[in-house]
Amino acid sequence: MEFSMAQGIVKAASLLSAGVCMGMGALGPALGEGFTAAKAVEGISRSPESASIITRTMLVGQAVSESTGIYSLVIALLLIFAVKI
Amino acid sequence: MIFATEYIKVAAYLGAGICVGVGSITTGIGSGVISAKAVTGLMEQPKANEQVFRTMLIGQAAAQTAGIFALVISMLLIYGVSFDTVGGWYKAAAYLSAGLAMGLGSIGPSLGAGYTGGQACQSVARMPKQGNAIMGNMLIGQALAQTSAIFALVVSFLLMYSVPNQPTEASMGRILFKAVAFIAAGLTIGIGTLGPGNGIGYVAGKSTEMMGKFPNEKSKIMRTMFLGAAVSESTAIYSLVVCFLLIFAIK
Repeated sequence: MEFSMAQGIVKAASLLSAGVCMGMGALGPALGEGFTAAKAVEGISRSPESASIITRTMLVGQAVSESTGIYSLVIALLLIFAVKI
Repeated sequence: MIFATEYIKVAAYLGAGICVGVGSITTGIGSGVISAKAVTGLMEQPKANEQVFRTMLIGQAAAQTAGIFALVISMLLIYGVSFDTVGGWYKAAAYLSAGLAMGLGSIGPSLGAGYTGGQACQSVARMPKQGNAIMGNMLIGQALAQTSAIFALVVSFLLMYSVPNQPTEASMGRILFKAVAFIAAGLTIGIGTLGPGNGIGYVAGKSTEMMGKFPNEKSKIMRTMFLGAAVSESTAIYSLVVCFLLIFAIK
């Protein structure tokens, strides 16, 4: 199947936005998770006896923070595969 | 439309310039942060001269890695790729995108590695006795931060050497969206490594700082650093997956 110019533009726009979506969507979660982990390291070294609670809280917080990264991944995949012309 | 080999050259040379230009901004900032922290550390503790100097040099070398990747990619874009007309717009877009990927992709890792190295210098100046443990942790942390730069390097290589030639019978619409898909792949990994590089660098920096303050908790600090860095890396891996899909799975 070959594409007309207009169809090509639609497909190009959806692919470009998939790339920008995943790229920018990866920025926030990773920064936030890094910040969480850094504070957890700080907390564990200050009070090592509560290491398990801190690690648990860190992981739960990171999982919540990760969710927007996963939303971006889903949207990027939809833009790549589900956009029909 | 008549396709001239000059179009591919324009794209490749633009990519080469963007790559090393953008790549050297943050590599410079990262190394500068390390030496600044080393200098302030030495002001407080001039006796730790030797250890701080050594940590500074090794930290700066590690923070420069992404800049060297960018240099390699731009050299290859100038001298190491084929400018044959059969490549068509596919190759032109892929070369521009290879430069974007590595140029933007070196921002986050360099800043992260710079923060880590800076904290390590400060920490060594405060606790010269823990110098070796701190430097070991710094190097591991910087290596973790640089993994996303290596993702960008891989994508740049794929864009330079595994993109197919433009089929002769391809319609304008197909050419357009394939070319845009290659550019989007470069942008994805370029912007996508910004967060992970910075985030992991922050974790590693804090853990080197804390390792200087609380040397007895070494194993717990390092374990938490690895765990946090691995979670933070996940979005870089999503970006890499989307990149591969954009390069190889678009028909």
